[in-house]
This record gives sequence, C-alpha cells and structure tokens, in this order.
Amino acid sequence: MSQASSPSRGSVVTTIVRQPYIWAVVALVLLLVINLIKDPGYLGISVNSSTGNLSGNIIDILRASAPIMMIAIGMTLVIATRGIDLSVGSVMAVSGAVSMEFMSNSGDGSVGVAVTAAALALGVSALLGVINGVLVSVVGLQPFITTLVTMLAGRGLAKVITAGQNTSATNEPFRWIANGTVFGFPVVFVIGALIVAVVAVLVRRTALGLMIESIGINPKAARMAGIRPIGILIAVYIVSAVLAGIAGIFSTASVMTVEVAKTGLSSEMDAILAVVIGGTSLAGGKFSLTGSVIGALLIATLDKTIVFLSIPSSATPAFKAVVIVIICLLQSQRVRALFARRKAISTPTPPQSTPTRKETVSA
Amino acid sequence: MFKTAKIRGIAGLALAGAMAFSLAACSGGSSDSTDAAGSDGELTTVGFVAVGPEGGWRTANEQNIQDSFSKENGFDLKYAPATNGDQNSQITAFTSFIDEGVDAIILSATEATGWESVLKRAQEAEIPVVLLDRGIEPNDTSLYTSHIAPDNVGISSSAAEWANGQFPDGAKYVVLEGPPGLSVVNDRNKGWDDTIDANFTKLESQSANWSTEEAKSVFETILKANNNDVQLVFAQNDEMGLGAALAVEEAGLKPGTDVKIITIDGTKAALEALAAGRLSFVAEYNPLFGDTAIEVVKAALAGETVESDIVVPSVTFDSPEAATEALPTRKY
Repeated sequence: MSQASSPSRGSVVTTIVRQPYIWAVVALVLLLVINLIKDPGYLGISVNSSTGNLSGNIIDILRASAPIMMIAIGMTLVIATRGIDLSVGSVMAVSGAVSMEFMSNSGDGSVGVAVTAAALALGVSALLGVINGVLVSVVGLQPFITTLVTMLAGRGLAKVITAGQNTSATNEPFRWIANGTVFGFPVVFVIGALIVAVVAVLVRRTALGLMIESIGINPKAARMAGIRPIGILIAVYIVSAVLAGIAGIFSTASVMTVEVAKTGLSSEMDAILAVVIGGTSLAGGKFSLTGSVIGALLIATLDKTIVFLSIPSSATPAFKAVVIVIICLLQSQRVRALFARRKAISTPTPPQSTPTRKETVSA
Repeated sequence: MFKTAKIRGIAGLALAGAMAFSLAACSGGSSDSTDAAGSDGELTTVGFVAVGPEGGWRTANEQNIQDSFSKENGFDLKYAPATNGDQNSQITAFTSFIDEGVDAIILSATEATGWESVLKRAQEAEIPVVLLDRGIEPNDTSLYTSHIAPDNVGISSSAAEWANGQFPDGAKYVVLEGPPGLSVVNDRNKGWDDTIDANFTKLESQSANWSTEEAKSVFETILKANNNDVQLVFAQNDEMGLGAALAVEEAGLKPGTDVKIITIDGTKAALEALAAGRLSFVAEYNPLFGDTAIEVVKAALAGETVESDIVVPSVTFDSPEAATEALPTRKY
C-alpha cells in the first residue's frame, strides 16, 4: 500500500511511524481516551474558585510526571553510555532527607533557607554521582554493581541523616516548588521542562551527545577517535545524580516530609521503564530525550488512570505491567518488521516478507 | 571411562557425607558454646526480627521494645530490622538467630504468610517465639508462644462507629489502605466493613502504601474522579491521612468540614493535625507494650503457659480538645 502511494506521502508516514516512541504516544492517547469515556470532562481545565489556580487531571499528570521526567533524563544519558544508574531512587531519598533535615533544624521559613536546603541537597547528590562516575570510569567497575552499591548505601545514608525518622519541615518557598503555580501552571512541571530543555541543548547543540553515543556504541573506537571516556562518564553520572536530587526535592516538597523508607522507592524502575518505552536501547548508543519525556508522561498518566478508573489496589501492579509489556512487544515487533522491510529492499523480495509488511502498514 | 566416572561418583558421595558429618559436628559444638556463654553472662539473649523505619508508629514501637529489653532488665537484645520491608531479609535474620542459639525470638512480621517452616525450625530448637503487632496467616497458634498486639478489628470498628454517629444519613467515603495482603490491612478493612452502616457508599478503596506522598497523589485523583463529592476518608494509618488532608486543601476544600478524615495509629503528627482541625478522628493503635512483651518472654522461658493472644488496650481521640490534652505527654 505504501509503495503504491506517492513517494513523498510514503516518506512522511514512515518518518512518523519510524519514531521509536510512536507506540508510547499511541498508548498515551489511548489512556486519555479511556479516561474521557469514563468521564467526558476528564481533559477539562478549570480555575479553582478558592485557590485561584488551574486545576484538572491534566495538571495533576504534569505535576506527577516532573520527578519521573528528571530521573528518566539522567537515566537516558547513563544508558546511552552502556551504563545503568540504579541509585536514582536512593539519591532522591538522600536529597529529600538532607533538605528536610536542614529546614527542620534551621527553623525560619525564609527563601534563603529554602535555597540553601536545595543547594545542600543537590551538592550531596552530586557527590554520590562523583562516586558512581569514578568507580565506573577510573576503577572500571561494572555500572550495575557500582550503582547497586550506592543504591543500598544511599538509602542507608538517608536513614542516618534523619536518624531513621520520617522528617517534616515547614517552609513556604520550598513547598511552592512542588505545589505552587506560575500563571496557573504547576511550578514543578515548568522547572522540569526548563531543565529538560537545558540538557537537550547541551547534548544536541554540542558534540557532547555524539560523544556519549560513541562511547555507548563502541568505547574502543571512541577512544581511538580521541574521545576521553573518563571525563564524559563521570559527567554523565553526576548529571544523573543531580537530576535525581532535583526529583527528590520535587517529591518531598509536595508533602514537606521525607519518608526515608519510601521516598523514591523503586523509582529507578520507573526511570528505566520510561527510557525503554521512549525507544532508547538498554544496549547503549543512540538515545532519545523526547522519547524518555514521553515515557515519563506515560508512566504518570498510567498511575493516575489506575486510580481514576477505580482499579482495585491488588490489581494495579498487574494492570501497569500488562500495559508496559504490550508497549514493549509492539516496539520489538516494529523493529523486527522494519528489519524485514530493509531485507526486502536490499534483496529481491523473499515471499515471507510480504505479510509482515502488510502488518506494519495496517498497524 | 565408565568405571572412572562411577568411582568419581562414589568418591563424591563419600565426600559429601563427610562434609555433612563435619557440619553437624560444627553446629553442635557452636550451639553448646553459646548456651554456656548465655548462662555465664546471666543475660537472656533475645533476637528481635523487626520491620525497621516505616513511620512514626513503628519507630515508637521498636524504640519501646529496645528500651524495655535493656541490659538492666537482664536482656541482651539483638535488633535486626528488615531491609526496606523485605520479608526475605526477615527470614534470613530469623534463621541466623536460630543458628546462633538465642534464648527467645520476638518477631514483627512484614508479611503475614510464609512463616511456617522457620517457625517450625524455632520449635525444633526449643526457642520460644513471641509475635508483636502483626500476626501470621494461617494463624496456627501451636507454632508460636504468644501474639501481642492491639486489636486492629476492634480499633477500626470503633472508627466506623464514630462515622455512623457523625453521618446518620450516610455518606460517600473512600478507604486509603496499606499494601494489599498484610494482615493489618485485612483486619482494619474487616472491622470497618462489619460496623459501617448500610447507607454509606464506598466510592473506592485504594492502596497508598502507608505513604503521605502517594496518599496525596491518589486522593487528589479520587477527588477529581468524583467531582469533590467525598464526605469521609478512612485512612488506615496517620501518614496517609495527612496526605489526604493535603490533597483536600489543594483542591480548595476544608478538611474537617468538607471532608472528614479518620486515621489509625495516633502518632504525634496526627494528634497535632487533629488539634488543628485538619483530621477529624484519630484511633490510637498503642505501640507501647514492651513491658507486656518482657513478662511473656520471661514466663515462656520459665516454662509457664502463656495466653496465645494478648490484646493491648488503645484509646480514641474524637475532638481537637482531646488531642490538645493528650499532646504534651505523647511519647511518639
């Protein structure tokens, strides 16, 4: 069918379909449609009469997606270098613990205290990132093992910082980060989007992104081409840890409490899922920041949909798993179909490839 | 070829047998030595398989147990918290306490099921086991000495009774529960469901994993899904209740008047919120039963029979005044 139509139309269709995160977009739209069927006013955004802020399910989703977006972006860069960062959830807890502990001890709810708390939290997070980066690049430990160690040590550290207690603090400027609005939009999402934009410009408008990809595709060849992997690897792990620290600030500021055993728990899984859903291969190399952002949005939407549809709590993990498995299956099938199509183009059409191609077009 | 393989097999078997013997000898020797050490120091060694940091209630409970089983009271308490609430780490700690040959084990299980085989091992080693707080499923009383806990069913039914009195014409309510499968979740659901009047409508029952952050996120969505038409929240712990209160405030409603929130546990943070009118009813789940635990452990070691189910008395707070009065002496 696509071959029969004009070549220009065909190429437009293929470029859209070729985006690795197309199925994530489809799933996202599908979830929103399901919610719309349950409640036709689902997408409506209204102005809350008593607080004066925009309110609506979409606003909630944007707000909930911000922390996932942060760790997913960091995770994307790490995964692109053939690494993995399992410590992001624990770094979230550490960052939350540092900021809450500092604010509960320093008393007054001034902007200065909030800024110092955030800076301290990000500083400690960056330090954990340095440890990860040095162990991976200089010492040459496997990223999985290295970050597994910092994951366990990090949660331990969070417990030590707060003496094992869930610590609360009151500080209006800090609370504003997660709950406030600018022009009606949630601050967390605005900050998150800005940070994503900065990271995107840094890696895509400079050679940094290419260097990261080349390390992931072939570290030896990259080194021979004159790229120094040590500096880049350390930088990537620091960026991931700092972004996780920001995510930790986002999620603790929303309730102004750090729950040492729960803040950021299994967030590394959410981040890895967002990256995979976004179409970045766990084998490293090419990465897609847009895909990871869409993946994060999808996970936030999925979490909210489960509650909105009143799915019983015992069935929620299964529901989440089914949706994600379906997306991954669709993606892998698409890859296989593309592979078959390429083969079909390079060699005189083998008979089996025809039905596969039809499937791709119809899907 | 065939012959050598056979010989190798036999040799392997013999080696394995020898190792088993030596291992048995080893463990026999070590248990003897710990027994001797125990009587020399005159301290009773007690292994505490605990949950670890979870929330205000758990911290108060485990601190109380650790303070009670002190050296002054003649105990050497070995505290083993679970790794992030993982049952496997608890079972590992439990078995190593058995191998160490402690005099008694106290256990706060993270999950209700799956304890039969280790409890049987403790029985074979003649180590009395006292369950604190969370019970086991299936509840086989022959496997442990005693279960000490406040009555979850009774506490949540007292919360439901208060709700019945507050809303004689019924109300729409939401339950925020702990992780599915825990015995405390089942018990708290049972007490509530059995007592709440038939004219109440349960809109939804969702897990928020005992967490403030999750409860806030879950409840803001539930409020949107029901156009803010929710009059009552039954949060199965304080942290989730406080999260729901934040979501109510965020939606521009007033907790206490628009949405009444019931919580269980009675930690300081919840009583402060009750005194400020952000929560409406707090049912205490008394964590301070270290003294009872000591009595039970002593009686079990002396060979006396102990009641298999001991209920710790708890109170309820239904007004800001009651909370303000209780706050100055609150220990947790």
